[in-house]
Amino acid sequence: MKPLSFLLIEDDLIETLKFKRVLATMETKHRISEANNGEEALEKLKSPEALPDVILLDLNMPKMNGIEFLKILKDDPVLKYIPAIILSTSNHHDDILECYKIGIAGYIMKPLRYEDYTHKIKSLVSYWSSNEFIKG
Amino acid sequence: MSTTDPKLLRKALLREKSARKQAEKILEDKSRELYSLTQELQVVNEKLKAGLTETTSELKGLFENLVDAYVLMDVSGNIIKMNDAATELFGYNLKENKINVTELIHKDDFQYAMTSFQELIRKGSFSDYQARVYTKNKGVRTVHINASLILDKKNNPIAAQGIVRDITKKLELESDRKFLIKSLEKNNIELKNFAHIVSHDLKSPLRSINALVNWLREDYASVYDEAAEQTFDMLIKKVDQMDRLITGILKYSSIDKATYPKEHIDLNVVVNDIIDIIFIPNHVSVAIEGLLPVVKGDKFRLQQLFQNIMSNAVNYIEKEVGIVTVSVRELPEFWEFAITDNGKGISKKYQKKIFEIFQTLEDNERSTGIGLSIVKKVIDYYEGTIWIESEIGIGSTFYFTLKKDLK
Repeated sequence: MKPLSFLLIEDDLIETLKFKRVLATMETKHRISEANNGEEALEKLKSPEALPDVILLDLNMPKMNGIEFLKILKDDPVLKYIPAIILSTSNHHDDILECYKIGIAGYIMKPLRYEDYTHKIKSLVSYWSSNEFIKG
Repeated sequence: MSTTDPKLLRKALLREKSARKQAEKILEDKSRELYSLTQELQVVNEKLKAGLTETTSELKGLFENLVDAYVLMDVSGNIIKMNDAATELFGYNLKENKINVTELIHKDDFQYAMTSFQELIRKGSFSDYQARVYTKNKGVRTVHINASLILDKKNNPIAAQGIVRDITKKLELESDRKFLIKSLEKNNIELKNFAHIVSHDLKSPLRSINALVNWLREDYASVYDEAAEQTFDMLIKKVDQMDRLITGILKYSSIDKATYPKEHIDLNVVVNDIIDIIFIPNHVSVAIEGLLPVVKGDKFRLQQLFQNIMSNAVNYIEKEVGIVTVSVRELPEFWEFAITDNGKGISKKYQKKIFEIFQTLEDNERSTGIGLSIVKKVIDYYEGTIWIESEIGIGSTFYFTLKKDLK
């Protein structure tokens, strides 16, 4: 498996711990960069040499929420090429529709059970590991 | 030649006599004719007179009884006549005060009033004029006016008349109504968002708890005994239950609010999908009897409807062989569906209650008391009916109707 770099935008500490813990159990060591909200994430995306392969985005966040962040991301001539995947507890039809309209690479519901979560995240990571990315 | 010839004279006399008689007769006839004509004329005249008073009193009655205010004024705006309603509206008595309409018009509407008055002179009438007026006792009122000119024989305007209606109350009611509808719409949106935000905020901590418990289990597996494992199990189950409740409430609240696309739905596919999705104990079999129809509606609500009744049916069968069947009967305007089970049955006194939210008949960890209330809400939304026929120990049938053309 090819190592990936993720930007995880998530305000809930335990959610971040969950994601890191699942990735830690995998053989390939992926890189994880963290942001607590959209503003922080945009700050991190300012340095072009540190752009992640994949962005994982929570929808409900303080300050700048997921959808606001997504809009800015997809308006940017460079950043718009980074696949963004939503991680959310909401399966609200309007939310899902809005996200796909703006442009997302996937929408994952956070399951209740940790074992289901582990399974989903592992499949996500291995899927994106087998993808080619735009470099440079 | 002599005129004294008596013979001739007599002849002439006779002729004259007869001529006079003839003339007299004609005269008599004519005068009789004249008399009858006069008689006739008199009747006509009487009639005319009567008619005239009739019209005048009709007009007078109309003038007095008109619910709307009636104002008659000369071309310079001096009020000549007002009916009772006008006196009541403006609060002025013509006998006491001399009033010019321009004094009654609200200062901000004055310019508009003058323009309208010009239009009245030019065109002879105007309608649907709306302005504010000052009244003696009621303050500023908004009125609606229809007016027309009164012309003399040479077509010169001599007066103007107007029907004035006080629409202040009506406008207030209208704006109240608009405000109510607006706030209702806002409330509805807020309620919808509220359910989603609350459910998100409640679901997130549950996901955290579940993960944390799992980590405790994984990280300290060596120190826990069986009792601890059981405690963890119970904890996880409670978290599950809580999550089901939240999901259920969210579904319940969105049943009649969310909009879903309306399409042709093959209910055979819907029901077969449900058979694949829901948990069906090994001793229970579910089957469609005959062929279900294709209806026009939205998949989400129809699936919620069938799935909740079906899971309810399969979950409460204690007999060795459980059978659940789904069937349909075509009626002129409706489809009547029946979902029958051979479960334990529902006592008559609970048959209404089971459709109420959070009502469960037994302490079952899997039941939230929301499923059947969602069913009821879908049925209400589609303007159908639902009822139960059930016998304790034998089984239950849930009947419901759906219109052939769903909204």
